[in-house]
Formats: sequence, C-alpha cells, structure tokens
Amino acid sequence: MSTTLEVQSPDSQAPGGVLVDRTPFCLRLPRVIPAFVALIGGLFWSYSYQRLHHTDLWGHLAYGRIICETSSLPATEPLMPLAEGVPLVDTAWLAQVLGYRVMAQWGPAGVQFLHAATIAACLALVAGGLYRRTHSFLFSVLGLGLFETLNWFQFQIVRPQMGGLVCFTLLTSLLTTRRWHKLHWVAIPTTLAIWANLHGSFIVGLVLLGCATIGRGVDVWRRTNRVSSMFRDRHARRLLLTTELAAAATLLNPYGLRLYAEVLSFSGNQNLQDLIEWNSLNFRSMQGQLAAGTALALAIVYRLSPRRVSAGELLALVVLGAAGMWSARMLIWWTPLAVACFVLHAHAAWRRFHPLVNFQPPVRSGKWAVVTVGLVWICFAWTPFGLHLLHGKTIDLKRCVSAHTPVAATAWLREHPPTGQVFNTYEWGDYLLWQGPPHLKIFVDSQAHLVPREVWRDYMAVISVMSGWNDNFDRYGVQTIIIDKAERGALIAKLKDDTHWKRRYEDSLAVIFTRQTATTTPEKPHP
Amino acid sequence: MICSSKFRFSFWLVQGIVAAALVFSAARGGSAHIGRPALPWSAAEVIHIDREQPLRIEPLYDDSELVSDAELTAVLKQVQPRFPQKQMKPNYVEHALRIWGVDAEFKDTEVLSGAQLRDFLIDHGRYLASWGDSMEPLLVESRQGVEVRWGKEEGASVHHDHWLACLTEAGVPLHQPIYTPAKHTRTINDALQQALRDFRVDEREVEWSAMAFGFWIPPVKSWQTLDGRTVSFDMIAHRLMRGDKKFGVCSGTHRVYSLAVLLRLDDQYSLLSPAVREESRQHLLAVKQLITESQFEDGHWPSNWEMGAEAVSHPIDDPLHKQVIATGHHLEWLAIAPEEFHPPREQIRKAARWAIDTAVSRTPAQILEHYTFFSHVGGALSLWRKSRPADFWHTHEPDPVAAVDADAEAE
Repeated sequence: MSTTLEVQSPDSQAPGGVLVDRTPFCLRLPRVIPAFVALIGGLFWSYSYQRLHHTDLWGHLAYGRIICETSSLPATEPLMPLAEGVPLVDTAWLAQVLGYRVMAQWGPAGVQFLHAATIAACLALVAGGLYRRTHSFLFSVLGLGLFETLNWFQFQIVRPQMGGLVCFTLLTSLLTTRRWHKLHWVAIPTTLAIWANLHGSFIVGLVLLGCATIGRGVDVWRRTNRVSSMFRDRHARRLLLTTELAAAATLLNPYGLRLYAEVLSFSGNQNLQDLIEWNSLNFRSMQGQLAAGTALALAIVYRLSPRRVSAGELLALVVLGAAGMWSARMLIWWTPLAVACFVLHAHAAWRRFHPLVNFQPPVRSGKWAVVTVGLVWICFAWTPFGLHLLHGKTIDLKRCVSAHTPVAATAWLREHPPTGQVFNTYEWGDYLLWQGPPHLKIFVDSQAHLVPREVWRDYMAVISVMSGWNDNFDRYGVQTIIIDKAERGALIAKLKDDTHWKRRYEDSLAVIFTRQTATTTPEKPHP
Repeated sequence: MICSSKFRFSFWLVQGIVAAALVFSAARGGSAHIGRPALPWSAAEVIHIDREQPLRIEPLYDDSELVSDAELTAVLKQVQPRFPQKQMKPNYVEHALRIWGVDAEFKDTEVLSGAQLRDFLIDHGRYLASWGDSMEPLLVESRQGVEVRWGKEEGASVHHDHWLACLTEAGVPLHQPIYTPAKHTRTINDALQQALRDFRVDEREVEWSAMAFGFWIPPVKSWQTLDGRTVSFDMIAHRLMRGDKKFGVCSGTHRVYSLAVLLRLDDQYSLLSPAVREESRQHLLAVKQLITESQFEDGHWPSNWEMGAEAVSHPIDDPLHKQVIATGHHLEWLAIAPEEFHPPREQIRKAARWAIDTAVSRTPAQILEHYTFFSHVGGALSLWRKSRPADFWHTHEPDPVAAVDADAEAE
C-alpha cells in the first residue's frame, strides 16, 4: 500500500490505494506557512525569554496598578511627589492596564509572553504582507531579517509602543491588500480606536492614512492629467472617507480631543531634549547607520526596479523618515515601510532579470496544517509563560529582569524603608516605584515630560555633577540617594568623599547613600 | 458629474459621523478630568476673588516689656521712608510700604507717605520721574495682566511677587488701578491673576507668592497655573518646608514667616489639609527648638540659626546686617505665631532688646544702607505691641520741629 499522501481538491475522486487528505480544504495550509511559523516562532520563543528592561516598563505597570486599584484615570501625576498637580493625559492607559493585569495574573513570564507576542504579531503581519505581494519566501525572509535588525534596539524594551507597532503593521497590511473589502471600513477605524487608547503613536496611523489618500490622488492625477479624476477615483474616495472615520474613531478615548493636544505637544517638552532617544537621529549611532544604509539600499532598488513607484509610498517614506530624523524614537514607524518598499522593489528588480514562468499557486495540505499547529504548540509550550501555565513553574523575578535592574538594592530599600525624599537616577525610578517600599518618594521616573522643568534641571545638575550639584540635595531635603555605578561614577566618587553622606549599601550595580544628619522635619510618607 | 449618488450618500454619512464625534468629544471634554492644556489661544482661568480688601492677620500680643512706647517710637523714627526722590529703589519702597501701609501719613514732609510709596510702585509715571526713561519700566504689561520686572538688575523689584505681596500687606484694594507704560490701566486683581497663572511651585522663591495668594484668594484653596498644573496651599506649604532650613530669602526666615501666615489663615479658612497643617506645626516647632538653641548671649540670632546650638558653639563670621536680618525676621513671625511656637518669652525680649539697641544706635545713613532689614525690626516691634506702625506713629509721632531741637540738644 502506498503511503504517498496525494493532495486532493474537495471534489476530486480518490484513486485507489492512495491515502487521501481528508482535511477540510479551508484548514489546509501551504508549506510556506510552517516555514514562516518556524521562523517567527523561533523569534517569538527567543523574545519570550528576553529579560525585562529596567526602565519604563515598570512605571507603566505602576500606572496600570493605580488605574486598576482606583478604577479611574489619575487626573494628575500620581507617582512622583515632586510632580504633584501636573496634569496627566495617560496616552497609554489601556496598554498599562493590560500589562498590569497580565503581570498580576501570571507574573513576569506573562509580560515576557505579551512582549514576544506583540513582536511575533508584527513579524507575522510584515511577513504576510510581503509574501502576499511577492510570493517569494526568500524575499519575505529577507524583509523579516531587515525589520528585525532595524528594530532590534526597540524590541529590547517592553513598552506600550509595541502595541502601537502592531496596530501600525496591521494598518499597513490592510492598506496594501489587493482588493478593498467591506471589512476595511470597520477594521481600519477600529484599529485606530484601539491604537488611540494603547499608545500616543496613533497619530502616525493617521499620517499613514493621509499619505495613502494623497498619494492615491496624486497617482490618479498623474495618470489622467486631470485634477477632477482624483475625486472620481473610487479608491481615493474610499481612502479619504476611511481616514476621516479613523480620525473620528480615535476620539473614542477617555480624553477626547485633548489626547490630540497632548500628543502633538509632547515632543516639544524641553525635558525630553536631555534624553538621547528623543534626540534627532545621530548617524554615529548604530541605529542611525542602519537607517542610512537602508535608505541607500532603497535608493538603489528604486533605480533598478521596474515596479511603479506609488506617490503614497514615497510620501509616507519621506514624512516618516523625516520624523525619524527629527527624533530617533520615531524611526520605528519608518522601518516597516522602508522594509516593505525595499523588499517589493528588490523582488521586482530580481524578477526583471529572473522572470517567473508558469507560476503555480502553492499546494495546500493538511500535513502542513498539522506541522504548523505542532510548531505553534512547541513555541508556546517552551516559553516561560507556557511552562508556568502548563506546569505551574514560576520564575524568580531576578531571572526575568535585565542585568541592569537594581533588584538587590531595591530589596535593601524594602528592608530599610527610607523616610523623606529619595534621589534616584532617571532610569531606575520606574523599577523603584514598582518594587520599592510603598510610598517611596522618588525624584524622577521615565515620565520625564511630567517632571516640572525646575526639578528636571536640578536633577540634571546633580547627575552631571555641575556646580552646586550637592546644594540640590539640601534644597530638596534628600535623605537617601540610590544611583547606578555604570553611568554615575563621578557622582559616586564625590559622594564617597562627602562627609554629609554615608554609604549604606553597595553592590556591583548600585550604591545607596543616606544623609548623615537630618536636615528636615521628619515627613510623613507620600500618600 | 464628479460624484455618484452612492458616493454622495457615503460622503455625507461620514461627514455626519465625524461632526458628531467632534461635537460629542468637545462637549464631553473627555471623561477624565484633567488640567487645561496650555494652548496659547485658550482663555486663562480667572480666580474669583471674594473681597475688595486683602485679609489681614492680627497681631496676638501686646508686650510693653518687650518694647516700650518710647522705644518703639525711636525705632519707627529710624525706619521712616526718607528716601531720595531720584532712583528710588523699588525694593526699599516695597519694604517701607509693607510695614507702614497705604494710610501712613507723616508730619515731616520729607518722609514719603503710604500713598506716595504706593503710587511709585503702581504708576509708571512716578517711576519714570524717579528713574528717567533710560531705565526699563518696573511694570510690564502682558496680554491679560501685568507683570513686574524683578531680579538683581538695577531699578527692579528684587524678589518674585515681592511687589504684589508688599502692596497686599499694605492693604491696597483689589481694584486699585495700575498705570502701565503702555498707558493702559490695569488693577491689582490683574496683577494677582497673572501671578496665580505664572506661579511655579519649584521656582527659587515662593515665599512672597504664598503670602499674596493667602491674603487674597481664600476660601479658594487650589487653582491651575498656565501650564495646567493644579497648585494648592498644601503644595505651597510643602514647598516652604522643603529641604534645608538655611535656604530661602533672608537666611530662610521668610519661609518660616510665610508658613506662619498660612497657619494663621488656615485657622479661619481651612486652607490646609489636616495632615499638612500638622506637618506645618511640627516644622514650626522644630524652628522654635533651633532658635531657642541658637540665640547668642546678647540676644541676637545669627544668620545660621538653623544650625541650632552649633551656631553658638561654633560661631561664624556674621556681619551685623545679617544678624539684623535674622533677629528682625524671627521677631516678626513670632509676633503672629501662637505661643506654642515661641521660645521662652525672656529670649524673645532679649532679642527685641538687641534689635532696639542696634536700630536706634544706627545713623540715618547706616539705616538707609540696610533699610530693608531694619524695616522688619520696626514692623516686628509694632506687631509685638499689637499695633501697626502707621497707627502707632499716628498717636506717638513727635512734632518734627521739637524733634529737631531735641536732636540738636542731644548732639
């Protein structure tokens, strides 16, 4: 008896002696799917073990905790005593609540899983979009590799922005489908509505829709040489109306129109100028060099590609590229587009010299569906989250966090809760809020835009050991200092020589000093 | 036809949805109550002020053992606002006005009356007459109010909101006109609203703002500044208590004075939360302990009073004017503070004795050089007689001719 599994169409008759694939046709998959699943699943598995970064993740979880505990959004900054009364428009409230719920339910493994899942979703959407348009596994993998490389730095940090990236890649995917489906009328506004509650980057989505709309109009105008054609074109009209609907959908957020005011004024905050990631793109950095390399490669493939260049893609590349150059943090929105354009045109250029003959649609088989399910299961079951869920294995927090996380120093602070004002480095404020003793009066956290300008300047003066740096400790009545050794060596050396401060704790990462003599009336903990 | 009827329907449907979303969102203002965003075109919040005259804190004690009528008369004579007309320093005028008040009148025509002092500060024409047009104006007109040029520059008010606090302490009414360089008329209310909007909790000096706001805006306890931050008297009290006591205007003594003012106002208007009131009490008790320990044998308090006993055991090289600052200011806040915050009365009397002797023994030129510091001595001693300098002077002012004869005889 033959063991060959022949692929059958649903209505074909089975020849005698051959195993028949009785999997319903809709469940059969081409072999390229398990290949993508293996690739993306591997990355997913790898990211699910990625240690949680020591910066803003913990602050977002702390905000999520407050929202869940009070069942309301804080109207003013609730965590930094020195920013009391500063209005808070929490642009990431939904991501924070989601993150906190996952953390509370499944611990750090759950957050790692969530992070890996968002990256995997982005990769899947990028890969799906590329494969759909090139039918080339290799070029799709090339695109995935580029996407992964360009965003490698951003993928290291778990933050609500990742939710925004999923929405962005989904939106890109919806906009590049071959045919406009009725579902698009709902899917695009819904994506934007969710995005507006997940992260302030939803504006990028509207920019992308705007570029697509204008680009389509320009294409039609160029093709027909008549302006009126722009308004006659069905797709241009669809895009215009969808953009309007999407903009209206973003108003479904707790702040309404104020969210726009907050997002648009955010980058103008002066405190952010002191943070490298918000600075303009620096071509001496690895990220800048990669972006420059990609831009150069794009220029080359555009030159070689026979594929028509749409005005929309050019416009989006220019606008988002300019945003990325303005602020390195914005580069994440340029990369999916750059990768897609590069791969599509590179593939077109390749096909120019290696034309495809007799293209056959990929063969679908139940076998590949089974393999795919198996791969998904393996990738899931071997993650810390899977192990926790299936076998009840819990992982020590220390093993889940990045090497720069002040775990031991924070534990020491819990055992010796400081009274009064604490001075901490910006990078650790969030972790101290999450894991430190209750009501800890931290100096700053990663929400730098909420820190009053004067306080931020004083903070910068201290960490830069500028003249009068130590006066600021007295001015703010700082009683405890926790700083990192990696970046603040000069400050630590000064403090060690200062008789007003006593070194109470030190490990390979952190030093904790306490004031030798009290200068202020003992204060009650911050409520 | 450019548009099909189907498209036309879709188009207007979408416009309707967008318009409805915009109207709904704008009307609702977002379900989360947040501070007003700092939009340049948005109308500034105006705090309704419930009174035409500022609040006053009545002095609590009449201690003739601390300062007798004759001694007070002698000290007040020293701190009369006898300023040269040319290049009158706003800081001096402010200090004179705050202790003498707008109603002050003097028989000696060379001494500036309360009204003249006030007018110099609120009328650009008077300022111009004193400084000429080469100097930048003291008053700076803004779109919605009036600001005061302050800082270390010549002809400026030295401290932030000191101008406003002094006019307030002097009893200038809310709708007193202010004449700006642009020949527009503003009022104290405009200046106050501007100060409320511009206030920043973390600026270097909040002592004067705290007092001005405390005397005007109760029962309002919190407001929003231009950057949308919600500021409350609790936050201001925390700010006044924040950090080492050595920091702040006049060796940190104005922070103590402003805190004592807020506590007294809190008795009437509950400006502070119970927790912050208790913190403020504890803070003043700590200050009491420090000044109890830091007083020198001759009665003066040093500028490093916050060091307590160490200030006496390890004295610093403290110039006389700094001793006058510390002693005068402490006497001033103690005069309005409940007795629980006082060091033993004997210590206060000793300090007053030192202040009286020091003030009376100065020449007019020496007084003028450090007028601002000595004005606090005059103000403080009047308060200790449960009086105000203008009222006391009104009944005790010697005849200027007789006084000149007496001076000549003494010489």
